[in-house]
Amino acid sequence: MKKVLHYINQFFAGIGGEDQADHKPELREGVVGPGLALNTLLQHGQVTHTLICGDNYMSSNTEQAVQEILELIKDIDFDLLIAGPAFQAGRYGVACGTIGKAILQHRQIPVLTSMHCENPGVEMFREFFPIFKGGNGAAKMKADLKSLAAYADKIFTGEKLLSAEEEGYFGRGIRHQVWLDPPVTASTRGVEMLIKKLNGQPYQTELVIPQKDLVPIAQPIADLSQAKIALLTTGGIVPVDNPDHIQSASATRWGRYRIDQMERLKSGEFKTIHAGFDPAAADEDPNRILPLDVMQAFLHEGKIGALHPYFYSTVGTGTTQREASRMGHEIYEHLAEDKVDGALLVAT
Amino acid sequence: MPIVLLCNLVPVAQSVGVNRIVPTISIPYPLGNPATSMEEQYKLRYQVVETALKALTTPITEPCVFKV
Amino acid sequence: MELQIGKFYVKDVVFGETLSFRDGVLTINKTEALAFLRQDPHITDCDIVIAKPGEKKRIVPIKEAAEARVRLDGQCLFPGVTGELHRCGEGRIHALKNMSILGVGKHWGSFGDGLVDMWGEGQKYTLFGQLINVCLVIDTDEEFERYEQQKKNHAIRMAVHRFAEFLGASVKSLEPEEITSYVMGPMRLRPPEVEALPSVVLVMQPQSQMEEMGYNDLVYGWDLNHFVPTYMHPNEILDGALISGSFMPSSSKWSTYDFQNFAHIKALYQEHGKTLNFLGVILSNLNVSMEQKERSALFVAKLAKSLGADGALVTEEGYGNPDADYILCLRALEDEGIKTVGVSNECTGRDGASQPLVTLDTKADALVSTGNVSQMIELEPADEVIGELAALGRDGLSGGWADDDILGPSVRADGSIIMENNAMFCGDGISGWSVKTMKEF
Repeated sequence: MKKVLHYINQFFAGIGGEDQADHKPELREGVVGPGLALNTLLQHGQVTHTLICGDNYMSSNTEQAVQEILELIKDIDFDLLIAGPAFQAGRYGVACGTIGKAILQHRQIPVLTSMHCENPGVEMFREFFPIFKGGNGAAKMKADLKSLAAYADKIFTGEKLLSAEEEGYFGRGIRHQVWLDPPVTASTRGVEMLIKKLNGQPYQTELVIPQKDLVPIAQPIADLSQAKIALLTTGGIVPVDNPDHIQSASATRWGRYRIDQMERLKSGEFKTIHAGFDPAAADEDPNRILPLDVMQAFLHEGKIGALHPYFYSTVGTGTTQREASRMGHEIYEHLAEDKVDGALLVAT
Repeated sequence: MPIVLLCNLVPVAQSVGVNRIVPTISIPYPLGNPATSMEEQYKLRYQVVETALKALTTPITEPCVFKV
Repeated sequence: MELQIGKFYVKDVVFGETLSFRDGVLTINKTEALAFLRQDPHITDCDIVIAKPGEKKRIVPIKEAAEARVRLDGQCLFPGVTGELHRCGEGRIHALKNMSILGVGKHWGSFGDGLVDMWGEGQKYTLFGQLINVCLVIDTDEEFERYEQQKKNHAIRMAVHRFAEFLGASVKSLEPEEITSYVMGPMRLRPPEVEALPSVVLVMQPQSQMEEMGYNDLVYGWDLNHFVPTYMHPNEILDGALISGSFMPSSSKWSTYDFQNFAHIKALYQEHGKTLNFLGVILSNLNVSMEQKERSALFVAKLAKSLGADGALVTEEGYGNPDADYILCLRALEDEGIKTVGVSNECTGRDGASQPLVTLDTKADALVSTGNVSQMIELEPADEVIGELAALGRDGLSGGWADDDILGPSVRADGSIIMENNAMFCGDGISGWSVKTMKEF
């Protein structure tokens, strides 16, 4: 039998409603409230402990509440966290998401929850773990617990987990390849889709184009002649021996290399290790990707105040957004430390 | 801290939400066409990077492509 | 134009006295075949190994594949490549079905090379796991690129094309089990019941991103980098007008075998006169600068509009920056009022969480997805490796690595492997045969 930790709020624990919403985190052995029904539905696991926290306490003292909860559970073993179901209750949904995310990060234990599509917790936390599509109120308790228990059993038995749509949870934005059963070739699917589209019939695209993320716009540099500028590239320019072993594709590493004593990057000392394009031009003259020669000229001319003494490099082909974002943050730390005012990133 | 992306695939930069973009001449050699003389390559590189530096100092309210 | 393909279904391939085909068995005289391959002085070492579905064999590094065929009129199979120019797409050819010829490096791999498993879990990752493969395992004197990650692999690839003709000769004067006819007349003045159907073009974007010659796909021997989109009769493609190159990560690749059997063309032929009016193929390419990408998209849209296309199926041999060419082309067609469907793979990263295509446009609202290049794959050791397993980790194959902090090396001491789908030979079947799709989790 696998062990399940169940998270619920003060209301479903039977402690009270709004008047008790400041209830501090508490750990009880065994089931409380909906956990009873959950246990009868689970075939390969059982709820061994229940975590209870007031919704207000969680929303107004989030960091503290999370710390207290992690402390409460630090000595207990469990295989899965089930939070909720939270239905349409906004604070409860966000609490389930917050505690789920913390347990996933600190304990590396899988998390499941259930919410109604209008619960703000869905958009905030759907990327982290399966949030099952739940009802809008406690009348749907049984159905929502059933989906959670069925999926939990699948995890426990190692049964094949199907796509978000087939399983009934909100997609996490994670896309994997699957084999169609029965097999239908891409050409058949493509031609059928085209015929439907031409005839104005409904069809389902296999890739829905997502909306783009917006990055806040940074304030411009007021006086370039006083500014310190840094050079970055995703074009894989590295010293010829690639000392940091940056990968030629799907990179997870980056490197920084001193340039303050050089007027330009020399062929034979630097090269590109990027596998996504013909390296000949960059190897012959690395300044074609990393323009050190003209940056030194701007420095001598007084156009810029200073050049950050390192350039930063990684490879931008097949690199996941998660890795790219991590590397970006790591590089930023160095730039911030040296009080860099602006950066130029050359991509290939 | 402002950053300028110098790249050839402007639509890629736009689709991931880059705010300051300066187009370069190609993917394998963004800042110097090997088919031209070293002087010409340097001149082009100077111009493109100068445009990028200018972009760092330009106030913008929406994503912007700074053409050389 | 009518192209007849006479089919000979191969059940077994064996070595024997004389090159012949009888009762489904292809017999190859190995000595004679090796002597033929050795006519190319650049080939310094050469062996022929047969791999059949179900056998515990792993083939790597694979550079090219082709179907063995013969033209009954005596002309070459690949004009501009294995012989003089002539127009493809008409007349009768005989083909050895259920088998392919694979060009395999005896030692050395390169970025675009792939792997095929003939058994077990790995077999399902590529169509070539289901075919009988005649593997030409070759070493060459191409010293200039021995340690390069990007290789032209010229001698090995050309050996495959020449050997397709060599084996094809075995069925030249035999009666095929089945003949498939591909008939399509001029676009003008088709029967009114066909004209009444929505008219459709296929837009193909084969790989042409290397600016140095010798790496790209060829049309009648001409490098597709030096090319603006043009109209092609679909039969030309099925009949050897296009030759695969040596650049694209393997799972995204269209081998010459893929061109000879281009599934999208076959599917459109199937519907021609029933639900649609197939106008033919607009052959485009893939480029490295924005202006080149825009020019090709402009030509494709202009051609499609002038041909009177109502719809277009667009497909790209690649991922990464080629997605920009792909999306530009879809958008340019939609802007002309031509309804599009795109077929491509995705690159969502090892964790599946990355943006699936490099560029996105909401006008691309009908897409078929054939796989994820970065899906992680772990496979047990083979009994026999054809080629050299170390190449997967050592030589910069797109889906392999020498070592990794967390995953360790691609090639392990016991012969088991861990790799990205990227290195599965033509594994994403973008040419139309993929039975994979992408789903959200």
